[in-house]
Amino acid sequence: MTDPDSSGAAIEARGIVKSFRARGDVLAGHTVHALRGVDFSIPAGGAASFIGESGCGKTTLGRILAGLESFDSGSLSLGGVPLAELSPRKRSPHFRRVQMIHQDPYSALNPTRTVDAILRDPLALRARQTGRPRAWIDARAREVLDLVGLDPGYVLPRFPHQLSGGMRQRVVIARALTVDPAALVADEAVSMIDVSLRLGILNLLRELRSTLGVSVLFITHDVATARYIGADGELYVIYRGQIIEHGPTETVVADPVHPYTQCLLSAIPVLHGIEQPGADRLTPTEPLDESQPEDGCLFAARCPFATEKCRAERPELGHLGDTVQEHACFYPQRRSVVATPVAGS
Amino acid sequence: MVAATQATANAAATAPPAVAVRDLTIVYKTPAGELPAVSNVDLYLPAGTITGLVGESGSGKSTLALALLNAVQKPGRIATGSIDVEGLGNLVELPAKRLQEARGGEIGYVFQAAQNSLNPLKTVGKQLLDLGRSHGVKDRAGLVRSARQLLARMGMDAARVLDSYQHELSGGMRQRVGIMFALVLNAHVLVLDEPTTALDMISQANVLSIVRAVHAERGLTTLVVTHDIGVVAEVAEHIAVMYGGVLVEQGPTEDVLRAPKHPYTRALINAIPRVSGDPSVARPLPGRPPTLETIPKRGCVFRERCAVYAERNLPECVTEQPPMLPVADGPGRLVACHAVGTKESVR
Repeated sequence: MTDPDSSGAAIEARGIVKSFRARGDVLAGHTVHALRGVDFSIPAGGAASFIGESGCGKTTLGRILAGLESFDSGSLSLGGVPLAELSPRKRSPHFRRVQMIHQDPYSALNPTRTVDAILRDPLALRARQTGRPRAWIDARAREVLDLVGLDPGYVLPRFPHQLSGGMRQRVVIARALTVDPAALVADEAVSMIDVSLRLGILNLLRELRSTLGVSVLFITHDVATARYIGADGELYVIYRGQIIEHGPTETVVADPVHPYTQCLLSAIPVLHGIEQPGADRLTPTEPLDESQPEDGCLFAARCPFATEKCRAERPELGHLGDTVQEHACFYPQRRSVVATPVAGS
Repeated sequence: MVAATQATANAAATAPPAVAVRDLTIVYKTPAGELPAVSNVDLYLPAGTITGLVGESGSGKSTLALALLNAVQKPGRIATGSIDVEGLGNLVELPAKRLQEARGGEIGYVFQAAQNSLNPLKTVGKQLLDLGRSHGVKDRAGLVRSARQLLARMGMDAARVLDSYQHELSGGMRQRVGIMFALVLNAHVLVLDEPTTALDMISQANVLSIVRAVHAERGLTTLVVTHDIGVVAEVAEHIAVMYGGVLVEQGPTEDVLRAPKHPYTRALINAIPRVSGDPSVARPLPGRPPTLETIPKRGCVFRERCAVYAERNLPECVTEQPPMLPVADGPGRLVACHAVGTKESVR
């Protein structure tokens, strides 16, 4: 498993810590703890979703995984290779196998180049490295477009502006596939896609998991889309750099025990008429403020159920109360906050 | 001029105005000639209600929303139709000076991505005074007082916000500042274009609950334009669904969600990832939304992606855009589809 080209690369992260020196008026000079010791793993072909608000550290995590950001401490291994111990030059071929799918397919593609040119560059490099003939480049470009459900004849000669948002995002995914990635990091990958096309992209990512064995790290604030990508995977709820609830996706979505997860799930719009709101739906909490205290539980300042203990002591991730999922709350309590389908609809 | 000082006092006393859009067509000049972005739209916003206008990119929803300010930018223009705001008259025929007063005055507008529509070089307070100046407000102290009340009502530290530049505010806070600007001159019609795009779930829920509360307290007639049916389901009692420049379905939100009549509405609801229920029942819509150039010139605009047309091949779907007609399924329901049984007699 030391060869970066070998398949079956699982991702294993232990105790990832990352902090930034903050700028700006309010927080100037403070240290923002983007990640406070995050553990997660994704099997080959598996999926992990990270959900949380803006500013909770989930994007930083994706960037670290793709090698776009360093981390302060902890360990990260791809396909069994511990990357922290390698020199930066030896590290890069491993990180190449993790490709990012960004939120905005409009700015992720060079507007002056055709799809053919966009796909040709990484393929040509790869052909040079592996001594493959030019014909392979053409064939492979068509192949990756087929994989993402695009008609090569239609798409190849076109410029990005001639394609819809959904098609553009598929081109971005096809480009990522040119390097035979072991993992895709999809950061809000469908939030700018038209609603009628969104499910198609989600299904595509799910298919790539099973057909190519690609692992997917899905980063979003939208729990419903996370559920589609990784119904059989793991869901991590992250708050101010700490994982506060983690378990099988369906368990966490259907049966959350941490009040923060419950707030997130309560905030999902209810489709009145075909859904009824959960009986214990929580009202939205006050916004996240990085200057809120860090002594005890990080969520205590916004938590409707916080006690003195919560403000003094920080709960660790564990199974307190014999829950299926891991959580970081002194008072795990099931509440039905998620909307349920109305019978007969 | 004194409007600002009376803002909160008067808000509840004045009845909100109804808005009637009739046979509105808006065209854009393109190399291929003038193409309609909005075609023969009839939309009625009952006084005091929230209506949600849903559509995908290129559906014409933002163009329609801008028409409520009669602010469609060149190369676009309103070709036919009228926009009647009760107590104000037909916006299309309003004299330029009166129209300018009405924009931001009687009609408040929160622009798409309000996060980016604030001036980055001026504090919120400075921009507030600019707004007052452009609308001839003499009582500046009163204007600031109204702004503070609105900001405080939306759960913000008013003094700090007025002293802030946009980059010092979070996305949710900027959106609330946008709502303050729209309402501070005592508007009674409020148009919000994509009020929650780019906000995370909790900020979105906060903004939506503020929209609901402010709407009720100030007695507004509100239009929320969005691509997200969930947003409409949360705030709006009426829904209007737009596709390819035409309205395809309207009605009470719950009824439409429960039993959508138009094949597009049905497909759109089926395509939404949900948090509960069986995920495998969701289906993506084939094809893609039309752009200005690809909207069919004849026949139903949704035909190419329509499951019903694929199955039944009705000839009228090819020749004629179906008119919006009442259906028998309950009051206030209108559908534009040849394949849906309508109450012809009502017409």
